[in-house]
Amino acid sequence: MSALLALSEVRKSFGGIMAVADVSLAIAPGELVGLIGPNGSGKTTLLNLITGFYPPEHGRVRLLDHDIGGRRPNEIFRAGVVRMFQQVRVFRRLTALENLEVAGRTAGLTAAAARQQALRLLERLGLAAHVHDDVGTLSGGQQKLVEFGGCFMSGPRLVVLDEPFAAIHPTVKQVMVDVIGERHAAGQAFLVVSHDIPAIMRLCPRTVCMNAGAVIADGPTEQVMADRAVVEAYLGGHAR
Amino acid sequence: MLIVEIVFTGLLMGSFYALMALGLTLVFGILKIVNFAHGEFFMIGAYAYTLLVVWAGLPQVPAMLSAVALGALAGVLMERLLMRPLYTGVIGPGALRDEYAIIVTFGLSLFLINLSHQVLGPYPVKGPDLVAVSRMELFGMFVSPHRLLASGLAVLTLALIVWLIRTTVWGKRVQAVAQNRFGAAIAGIDHARVSALVLALSGGIVALSGALLSPLFHAYPDVGAFPAVKSFVVVVLGGMGSIPGSILGGLLLGVLENFGAIYISYEYRDTFGFIILMLVLLLRPQGLFGERAREV
Amino acid sequence: MRRIALSPADHRLAFAVLGVVALIPLGVRSEYWLGVLITGLYFAMLAQSWNLLAGIAGLFSMAPAAFAMVGAYTTGLLHHHLQIGPGVGVPAGAVVAAAVGFGLGRITLRLRGAYLALTTLAFSEILRLVIANSIEWTRGDLGLSVPGILGGAKVPILYLFLGVLAAYQALLLLLLRSRVGLFLLAIRDDEVGAVARGVDLVRYKTLAFTLSAAGCGVAGALFVHFLQLASPELGLILQTGLVISMVVIGGMGTATGPLVGALLVEVAAEALREVGVRHLLVFSALVILVGRFFREGLMGLLARLAPGARLVARPASDAERLA
Repeated sequence: MSALLALSEVRKSFGGIMAVADVSLAIAPGELVGLIGPNGSGKTTLLNLITGFYPPEHGRVRLLDHDIGGRRPNEIFRAGVVRMFQQVRVFRRLTALENLEVAGRTAGLTAAAARQQALRLLERLGLAAHVHDDVGTLSGGQQKLVEFGGCFMSGPRLVVLDEPFAAIHPTVKQVMVDVIGERHAAGQAFLVVSHDIPAIMRLCPRTVCMNAGAVIADGPTEQVMADRAVVEAYLGGHAR
Repeated sequence: MLIVEIVFTGLLMGSFYALMALGLTLVFGILKIVNFAHGEFFMIGAYAYTLLVVWAGLPQVPAMLSAVALGALAGVLMERLLMRPLYTGVIGPGALRDEYAIIVTFGLSLFLINLSHQVLGPYPVKGPDLVAVSRMELFGMFVSPHRLLASGLAVLTLALIVWLIRTTVWGKRVQAVAQNRFGAAIAGIDHARVSALVLALSGGIVALSGALLSPLFHAYPDVGAFPAVKSFVVVVLGGMGSIPGSILGGLLLGVLENFGAIYISYEYRDTFGFIILMLVLLLRPQGLFGERAREV
Repeated sequence: MRRIALSPADHRLAFAVLGVVALIPLGVRSEYWLGVLITGLYFAMLAQSWNLLAGIAGLFSMAPAAFAMVGAYTTGLLHHHLQIGPGVGVPAGAVVAAAVGFGLGRITLRLRGAYLALTTLAFSEILRLVIANSIEWTRGDLGLSVPGILGGAKVPILYLFLGVLAAYQALLLLLLRSRVGLFLLAIRDDEVGAVARGVDLVRYKTLAFTLSAAGCGVAGALFVHFLQLASPELGLILQTGLVISMVVIGGMGTATGPLVGALLVEVAAEALREVGVRHLLVFSALVILVGRFFREGLMGLLARLAPGARLVARPASDAERLA
């Protein structure tokens, strides 16, 4: 089975610092993978490399055998990789509906189809009452949900989430976890970066751990969480 | 010998560019905005000095000091009345903040220019040189003693500011607020006060430039336009928020302009600055010493 | 809370204003005031064009007057050197201005905020200085004499300008109904977010610049045929300042704001001139006040009158949300 996303020896440095050091990684279609690692381990940089915000200095990033390394983010979106940001990014002066419609329209949906789909998604996310509210007036958690919803408008192959559970209300988190679960069951592939270990353990069958720019563990989640190197790097040397 | 003279006179002018650019960069460092009313502090200094001497009959030194004080006052007022929203969280982050800053400072610029036009009339007013002698010989070159003295004062002020920011405790507070306002506030620094004082400093030194150069350029409503442009060029060239960048950039621009005016074209000399500005912004927006901020 | 900016109500109001202007020549005979109104319509075209770029796409350009000057000199030079009339001159002005706008848009893609403002300001001044100094070609500050249109009669010219402005308004409506408008608004709020959602920044930012420049170019070309003189003064930063003031006072990012702002400011300017007050003094003060307190300009005030509606919902600041 050919990989959905394949990174081979991808490297990126800033000045003298090697943020991503020759990382190789493959995600199969429909896989739900967690990505953990201490601060500064290169997780966000890796996401930026995958989604086109940085070009790799070395190595290849391939989506279904097409080279996407160094392509622009909007092209990568159209190719089927969609992301969420660590600091919420929404269009504050547009309504929740319009926020989602943007993603639908860039993906080629007609105005009517985009609108319908957006309404359905907002309903599922519990935001039906805020469909026509400017997103800037919504709470942080609601904004995060709007951004989250925007990930599913284009029928992507891979959804990349950067710290989706950070600093939000448990009910919001539950909605996201539920939706991720539903979509995964329907065949959607995810790459979830998070510090929320319990959530990763519940959600992701497979986990990758990074430290200092390199992958130090990659396998079934329980195994990775018990791996000595991971424990030392990430949990500060205290085994559970 | 000619080359030396061109370089020397270029450096003389450059010292003013450096001082003015420093004023702009201080504001950028503390508020993260480009002050489009920057040239008007120059105008305030020029008018204050000239009018105090010519109309009020004040001796030159008190007039100069008063001009500086007025510039500082203008800086504080601008900070208190218009710049607060930038950091009190009333305006959202990013694009809206930039838009606010441009609209408000550009509006202020237009306002001040038109105010002086309305109240003081469009005709230039000329004040006396600092030094009565019009020309002297220095190492085989003819220089104007006024320019020499004015430039010396400018250099002295530059050194003073650098010393202030780099070594004093107050200067450390300024650096803290410039790097991380929220963090500085948590550490107990009165960041609003620091802002106001930095703007006062900026207004004061730019007004000083205006006063020092007024015998040369005279005082009229849009006298601030050319120093503003020069300052933008220098600050962009040297890197927004970089003190050494502003100083070196200012000196460099002074020398380059001189060469350009003499060897390339006198008529298009104003265009050089704009061309340099565009080229730097397009090719290396962070300038020589600035940093590229991480966007994502 | 219903949003008014760029809503159907906003567009309808804009057309209503145009309708009112169309009726004015029936009551006002003064050649002088008709001339003022024509000038107001010229500025309205500039204002709408600039609003597209700055108010809708969020690209704060300082070059609208420069593009008007490009359009003006295209038609002026075509006539002066090649005896080509306005029928070709004005469209040519649009094309040349659009091309220059396209170029400027392409090279400034990575610039935002004040850096973009500074670059476009520098660009504007370079253009103006080149035109003012190229005396053999343009007669510099003396200006180019340009043929009149429609026999120089004010009323027909007014209706011509009004018709063109109505076309601008209609194009704006169509644009905003389409996905292009949605993408530009997304770019305005968050470029990084937009590109991550598939918006082609290169294409749409360039498009915004091109359309805006074309709009300014046509306005400039038409205006000089009315004035019968093309001068580098058209491209002064002062003029850009006036356009920005008009849009900010009227309401940036709305369909009606730039229109109303331009007309009111131009008429008020004449009134102030008669009293001996510099109009820009008053308007710049208004700009500061609007910027500082009434972010949304006249349209914002108007929207407050409509029950349950907000012009552009002010994004909740961190301070407000934490309170």
